[in-house]
Amino acid sequence: MTRFHIFALFLFTVMVSGCVSHPQTAEEFRKAVPGAFMAKVETFEVNRPFSQVANTFQKMAPQCLSKTIKTTSQTRQSYQVIVTTYTPTVLVSGNKAELHVQQHHEQGVLNVSKEPRGGYYLMVADAQPVNKEKTRVDLYRPSMGFDPMVKAIRGWATGDNVGCPDLTK
Amino acid sequence: MVKDIAQTTARCIGGSVLAVSLLTGCFGIRSYPNTLDKNLHVHTAADAGSFFSSVRTAVDIHRVNADCQTEYEGTVQLNTSTIDIGIPPDRWSRLVFVFASSSFLASTSGTITYETLMKPRAGHTYEVTVSYRDDIYNVSVYETQPGNPARRELERSTLTACHALPT
Repeated sequence: MTRFHIFALFLFTVMVSGCVSHPQTAEEFRKAVPGAFMAKVETFEVNRPFSQVANTFQKMAPQCLSKTIKTTSQTRQSYQVIVTTYTPTVLVSGNKAELHVQQHHEQGVLNVSKEPRGGYYLMVADAQPVNKEKTRVDLYRPSMGFDPMVKAIRGWATGDNVGCPDLTK
Repeated sequence: MVKDIAQTTARCIGGSVLAVSLLTGCFGIRSYPNTLDKNLHVHTAADAGSFFSSVRTAVDIHRVNADCQTEYEGTVQLNTSTIDIGIPPDRWSRLVFVFASSSFLASTSGTITYETLMKPRAGHTYEVTVSYRDDIYNVSVYETQPGNPARRELERSTLTACHALPT
């Protein structure tokens, strides 16, 4: 996690929270993202049945995103260590699969607002069937940074290049 | 000026201590003996994607006892495209694949790991593909039976599920 990422995360947190309070639930996060400056909703369809997308979310999210990551950055003037714990949650009902990603900074980042249990909401991906062969994904995400995570979630949905994101980036 | 010299000296001393510590194994990293029959063939493809960044891959090997406690046995650096490793058959081992990335320009570094438990069967061979590309990593383990070219992918097991594993 570089200074750019920290700055982007700070802006994202402030903008999503509206400088008052950060979303405390996934639903609040969904509602806050469309009007937030540093966040966006990305919608795409994949040629894959809903059940397969849901299964991949269930399989990959815990093994790839349930992690505590330590990153260091160093300049001549400073040395910074950031420890972040990511917590994924996958909820699958009849025709909807939700992937929530939360992050909690154990060390190195100051929280600017009340943090929900499990950490601030970072991303939410909702998958719903379009028909038997296609699935639509709505991804609520920061508009800057976290590209590997976005790429990985997209890969889990499409079934192409299924892997884990390097959360240190 | 004096402050700069003091900072440089401190940095040199710190670097020397770090280097000596690494060489003497003070950080606990040691080479895996790798003396057993080679039953694990690891194929690695790692690309940091930029001239200004790098990624190093390695695998830490731990013995897992009946109580699911682990004992570190050593590390194999995955610095060539194929490396053969001997893992004790018929007992559980914990393999932790390590991806250590660093960026020279941003002076940042970080490490991410992927662990899996495996219990190699005697006479069987195992192919492991380790990849890191475009900030996405993947580890897959395949088992091949003797005399049968077909292979099957092994499900990942972690230490948290250790007690539920067959002995």
